[in-house]
Amino acid sequence: MKYFFYQLKKSPLAIIGIAIIVFWLIAAAVGPSMISYTYTQMDSMNQMVAPGEYGHLLGTDSLGRDILARIVYGSRSILTVALLTSMVSTLLGILLGFSAGYFGGKVDTAFLRTMDILMAIPPLVLSMVILGILGNSSIVSLTIIVSIAFIPATARVSRGVLLTEKSQEYVSAARIRGENHLYIMFVEILPNTTGPIIVEATARFAYSIMMVASLGFLGVGLQPPTPDWGMMVIENKPVIAQAPWTVLFPALAIASLVIAISIFSDFVSKVLIHER
Amino acid sequence: MNDNILEIENLHVRFSTFDGLFSAVNNVSFNLGYNESIGIIGESGCGKSTLAFTIMRYLASNAQVEGAIRFKDKNLLENSEKEMESVRGNRIAMVFQNPYSSLNPSLTIGFQLDEVGMHHQKLNKAKARKATIEALEMMNLGDPKGIVRRYPHQVSGGIQQRICIAMALLCKPDLMILDEPTTALDVTTEAVILDSIAELRDRLSMSMIYISHDIGVINKVSENIVVMYSGEIVESGPKQQIFENPVHPYTRALINCMPRGGVVKEKTKLNTIPGYVKKRGTDEGGCPFADRCDKKNDTCISEYGIKKIEGTHFAACNRAYAEDIPDKLKVRLTPKKRKNDPDFDIEHNLLKLEDVHKVYGTRRKVYAVNGIDFAVKPHSILGIVGESGCGKSTTGHMVSGLFPPSKGRVIFEDTDISIAWNKRNKETLKNIQLIFQNPGRSLNPSHTVEKIIGRTMQKLANINDKNERRKKIIDILRKVDLGKEYLEKKPPQLSGGEQQRVAIARSLSISPNLIVCDEPTSALDVSVQASVLNLLNDLQVDTHVAYLFISHDLNVINYLSDYIMVMYAGKIVEYGKRDEVMENWHHPYTEALLSAVPEVDPTKQKEIIELEGMLPDPTKKVKGCPFAGRCHKQVGEICEKEYPPMVRLSEDHYYFCHIKP
Repeated sequence: MKYFFYQLKKSPLAIIGIAIIVFWLIAAAVGPSMISYTYTQMDSMNQMVAPGEYGHLLGTDSLGRDILARIVYGSRSILTVALLTSMVSTLLGILLGFSAGYFGGKVDTAFLRTMDILMAIPPLVLSMVILGILGNSSIVSLTIIVSIAFIPATARVSRGVLLTEKSQEYVSAARIRGENHLYIMFVEILPNTTGPIIVEATARFAYSIMMVASLGFLGVGLQPPTPDWGMMVIENKPVIAQAPWTVLFPALAIASLVIAISIFSDFVSKVLIHER
Repeated sequence: MNDNILEIENLHVRFSTFDGLFSAVNNVSFNLGYNESIGIIGESGCGKSTLAFTIMRYLASNAQVEGAIRFKDKNLLENSEKEMESVRGNRIAMVFQNPYSSLNPSLTIGFQLDEVGMHHQKLNKAKARKATIEALEMMNLGDPKGIVRRYPHQVSGGIQQRICIAMALLCKPDLMILDEPTTALDVTTEAVILDSIAELRDRLSMSMIYISHDIGVINKVSENIVVMYSGEIVESGPKQQIFENPVHPYTRALINCMPRGGVVKEKTKLNTIPGYVKKRGTDEGGCPFADRCDKKNDTCISEYGIKKIEGTHFAACNRAYAEDIPDKLKVRLTPKKRKNDPDFDIEHNLLKLEDVHKVYGTRRKVYAVNGIDFAVKPHSILGIVGESGCGKSTTGHMVSGLFPPSKGRVIFEDTDISIAWNKRNKETLKNIQLIFQNPGRSLNPSHTVEKIIGRTMQKLANINDKNERRKKIIDILRKVDLGKEYLEKKPPQLSGGEQQRVAIARSLSISPNLIVCDEPTSALDVSVQASVLNLLNDLQVDTHVAYLFISHDLNVINYLSDYIMVMYAGKIVEYGKRDEVMENWHHPYTEALLSAVPEVDPTKQKEIIELEGMLPDPTKKVKGCPFAGRCHKQVGEICEKEYPPMVRLSEDHYYFCHIKP
């Protein structure tokens, strides 16, 4: 932890990244209570108001809804889904990847082929098809589907780190004192693989934000009236010429969060490599 | 013109890291004359390699260098990067420890060597190739024209290292720096390389800096020795002087802690140096060795500095034999006597292997162990010695149950245990323990020492009460000279020696009958090795456990074993009581192995039997004697056609060879 702050001092980019993430976390937590509008409230007198006018800090959209309010409320759903997705896909990835790598042989081959098939379909297309069939998507269904789409990636990373650890002598030492497989996998090996797995989980966090926003943009994400950043972009596309801010601000929100998390993820991996 | 090719003056190298500023090389000065060879010796972390890299101006960006390195009267530290390029690899060449990683695996050997000539001497392709072939011939490599077309992985490690040396020779450098060039190699290969290095020096008047942790190796190639400790030169002078009359306590301890020529456990206890080399900050003065020194007194901090002893012999301290403090070195030299144990020499075998084979792989087979029979007597130490790839570790792993033998039987106390760990019962798992080579890898880095030892006790000795366990762990830690404070520590916080002590404590905690020690000291520094060997010996005397001790180091095997078994290419070549094998060997391979061990005493240099060629291909079954082809005493065709019979000299001394005694 001391090393984390030492490196942080030397890396202004990481500070900016962390600041942006913290900003969005605070926005999601306390933002809604600080804004006088709600995300559904339509100011019918003031449609497509430019930023700063008539008390709308970031302007309004074609229906007169406050953009700031919609972005802030939207951050709640997107952060919830992304956080849950990265956690669920990482946990399932560890389970699957560890079992495959540990037992090897036919289990491993079956695992690898299944993952190959899943990976051959782009995660976005996969999620889109499933969501399309299901019809309406909620936070829960979105989380489950995006997690499944991400499992090949997290499971492969887990399998990879397990394989390097598996050949270590402490695993042999555990075997010849008669430990069972579960103990060896989760008590002996798991604590030594947290580094790469945490890095992958943070990377997945960034990817899931992209994914949720993309699904929203494609119209299969969270359904209205729940505000969704991707959906805001597509809703306001027809008025992009008259009111560019209606698209710009949600797009900026997506970009800033994704980039900030990516920077953070890179930084974490740098720090964790040193710890090894 | 000056007499010295290289003059180093007050050289300091510091690294600024996260934990602060560290001094890696501290106030180092020495001169190297034309056609002179200096050996730098010290344990790991003493700044030997940093010194070499500083001369090459090849340091990481967080290094700060002060002082002067004058090469032919020109200060290298003032050279620009461009000027340095014409010196590096051209006038000063360097050979690294691991040949495999210094050669590019995807380019042919010829291409890589040609590049040197083409770059530095601006030769055209044909001329560069000619120079390459000449250099390879100089290293006594047979068939250089064939070698240039091959890739690095197609030749053995010894040949790779000779190729690296040939590469360094290409531009006929004035100075060659060799950084532990033989440490990663087998002892017979090492002997061949050291010989060709010595020959080269005679032929090509070239100055040389040879870095090693092994005095025996340095003796063969250098006249003068520089002893480094914690970044400082503590003693320097002619090798004879250093060996016979070391004046710095560190030099004395370093020479005495090596088990060498004929030292055995019954007569001598090895000298040890307590503690380990510590990183030094920049503000610490005085003797760096003071915290580990037996002869420490008040002057160590205040009056420290390099002084002339006589002639060219310099040292920073002359208290190696100081008399104001009693000589603990001598007191410690009495070994623990083995109690007369009535069970010791009985006929009963603790462990017996019958025609054990191990074949790895299913499609592409590797024959690792090809039918061995031997037995381990209770309360005795059987040392298995051999070079890498001889199947010694595989044998140890089969005994401890990491995998079952492919054929044959392993019998322990009359039960057949030719099965892997998952089929063995608890009793067997408890009775046979394994100590691994690398303690850093055999202890889980995320678990505390208490958990590491405690879990074994809980699993195999059924001690489930936490407090009782803790008490026993503290007891066992005390036996391996570690205190209570180690309970909460994790392996990465410990030094290599401490880690190996924890691993030993783990094995002993459940009082097994047999411990398989798989090269337990080869990852450790010599001073630490000595203390681990002493500890293993004391514990064996106290607990009557038997060891199957595997090592590539004949000195270590000779020191510790009661019986010695020499292995070669998956076969036993000779077996017998220690003294019989060491003094009355009969197999030519045993003879070659013994002759290749570097001698520490410069006056007692011996004739080396050079082994050419490579180990037999392990993917093919050998019909005749596996050693045929490399053997210097080959009888004739029979060696290649027929596997030699067992020749029994006495009840427990036999060997496999067509040569009759």
